[in-house]
Amino acid sequence: MPDATHPPARRAAALLVRMVLGTVLLGPILALLLYASSTHWFFPQLVPAEWTPAPLLRQLGDPRTRAALGASLLTAGITTSIALLLGLPAARVLGLRTFRGRSLVLLVLFLPNIVPPLAIGMGLNVLLLRLGLAGSVAGVVLVHLVPVLPYAILALLGIVARYDEGYELQARTLGARPHQVWLHVALPMLWPGVAVAALFAFLVSWSQYVLTLLVGGGRVITLPILLFAAVAGGNPTSIAGLALLFAAPPVVAIALAVRALATAAGQPARGVP
Amino acid sequence: MTRIALTGITRSYLRRAPPALAHVSLAVEPGTLLALLGASGSGKSTLLKLVAGVEAPDQGDIAFDGRSVLPVPAHRRRAALVFQNAYLFPFLSVAGNIAFGLRMQGASRATMQAEVRRMLDLVELPGIERARPAQLSGGEQQRVALARALAIRPRVLLLDEPFSSLDPAVRHTLQEAVRRIQRECGITTLLVTHDRGEALAMADRVALLDRGALLAHETPQRLFARPPTRRAAQLMGVTTCLRGELAAGQLHTSLGVLTVCAAGPAAGPATYAIRPEQMRLAHAPEPNALPVRVLAETFRGEQYEYLVQAGSETIRVHASQPVAAPAYVVLPAEHLFPVCDDAAAPPARSA
Repeated sequence: MPDATHPPARRAAALLVRMVLGTVLLGPILALLLYASSTHWFFPQLVPAEWTPAPLLRQLGDPRTRAALGASLLTAGITTSIALLLGLPAARVLGLRTFRGRSLVLLVLFLPNIVPPLAIGMGLNVLLLRLGLAGSVAGVVLVHLVPVLPYAILALLGIVARYDEGYELQARTLGARPHQVWLHVALPMLWPGVAVAALFAFLVSWSQYVLTLLVGGGRVITLPILLFAAVAGGNPTSIAGLALLFAAPPVVAIALAVRALATAAGQPARGVP
Repeated sequence: MTRIALTGITRSYLRRAPPALAHVSLAVEPGTLLALLGASGSGKSTLLKLVAGVEAPDQGDIAFDGRSVLPVPAHRRRAALVFQNAYLFPFLSVAGNIAFGLRMQGASRATMQAEVRRMLDLVELPGIERARPAQLSGGEQQRVALARALAIRPRVLLLDEPFSSLDPAVRHTLQEAVRRIQRECGITTLLVTHDRGEALAMADRVALLDRGALLAHETPQRLFARPPTRRAAQLMGVTTCLRGELAAGQLHTSLGVLTVCAAGPAAGPATYAIRPEQMRLAHAPEPNALPVRVLAETFRGEQYEYLVQAGSETIRVHASQPVAAPAYVVLPAEHLFPVCDDAAAPPARSA
């Protein structure tokens, strides 16, 4: 969109910022792409001598990679769903009501993110061992919720605090039953916040390593676990392939979220005199 | 057409604070518009929420056509509320907003489309089905909110200060539009307002609320001319209340003796009030005149307002023409009316 209101100097500055940001964000991914698609890349070649998607495809075809990808998607997906189901009501209460002990609740909620994850993981591992949940996906999901839930609630609080319950009151007097109010009013109104919270929750769970390792006990192999093992192995092509796979969902998710939020923000403004 | 009857409604929010509403009994005749007039904190919006069913009274009963609606939840009560904030759903078009109630009932697409068109014609905004709420002006948003409320064919229409955020010109046309629509639909309506002019202009009856108590329930004309209590008089813009001893049709006040003719207590202590525009400023003494000293003169457009001192009382007098150096204020006997002290009025609250 050509912009007549901004002087050329400002446009140039904006372009520069974009280029720097683009390089910083895309540079590492490009490097990974180079590594992942090269079989022969030796010193002093500046770029690989041979280009082929074969190693990357082989990596994707590897059953261990597929299993890890599946485990990662499963745990992050379940964790995100639970975090939203628990987080939305919690954020509503914390954001819209004032009650005694509200700050204490907030503090307790964020405590796990202040304490080092190793300390939490050790403690929880003992507990989950006793419950017989150690080494299971359920156990990993539970332990992921500890750091994920506060992030989800924090992300939801932002939008819930600006939410006017008058809309729900209005819907009720128009004949909407409680579940209809929830489905047809609250959810559409809170949708941008829910999307951001889901994104945060998914990414926090997706990138857990220490907690998964401790509680999964080597039986729940998620992508980060596999990646760390590969790093220890030292094959740059396979490291790069796994790293790309690991980075793909966050990159795609952020791009989608940015797009969704941009259209959501742009919609009401359009056509205003 | 639905008759609304409220009996002994009491509602408290905090245990120790005085109740927001105390023992309010009130009836709204079918097809009429009742204005609930009061300052903020008078309990008028609380009353509306109780009728809508989004809150429940601590005591008392609310009945539509003689049948209690207290067991009926808000979404089945068919009491449509329109707020000061139009609360149009921003993620729906105008048509989507108006059809909202029908969609919740599971109405067919054709019904909804027809109803949306009919409602937009009714509120004089034809053809804006596809517009987004944010594209509309404040007045248009309120019209759409009204259309949305009427689309569910409610038994009663509840308006909670729907005009107060609009600028005066828009407010005026919208008040007229609402009154026309209300008459056309013959829908029993409760209008909450703090604007005296709005209440008087729009209502068939006005209920005056003050600190949770019902002070008066009258026709606008009667309430304006003869507010029954001191506080009611104050809320209707009467600032002059004179206390005295009544004997043989004469009120003996600390300022002088005034002849009164309105039927009041036969004898004994009494308070009489008079509207500011029914007093007259004079240069020479005459019956029912009190000597005064002018403190201030203000030009108010439609009238001049004089602030005068009579003995220990300051009196506000309205005059249509400027009066040069008046020495007396005349309180015509036919315009003096008795008011009760508020302690004698119905129980307001346990202070």
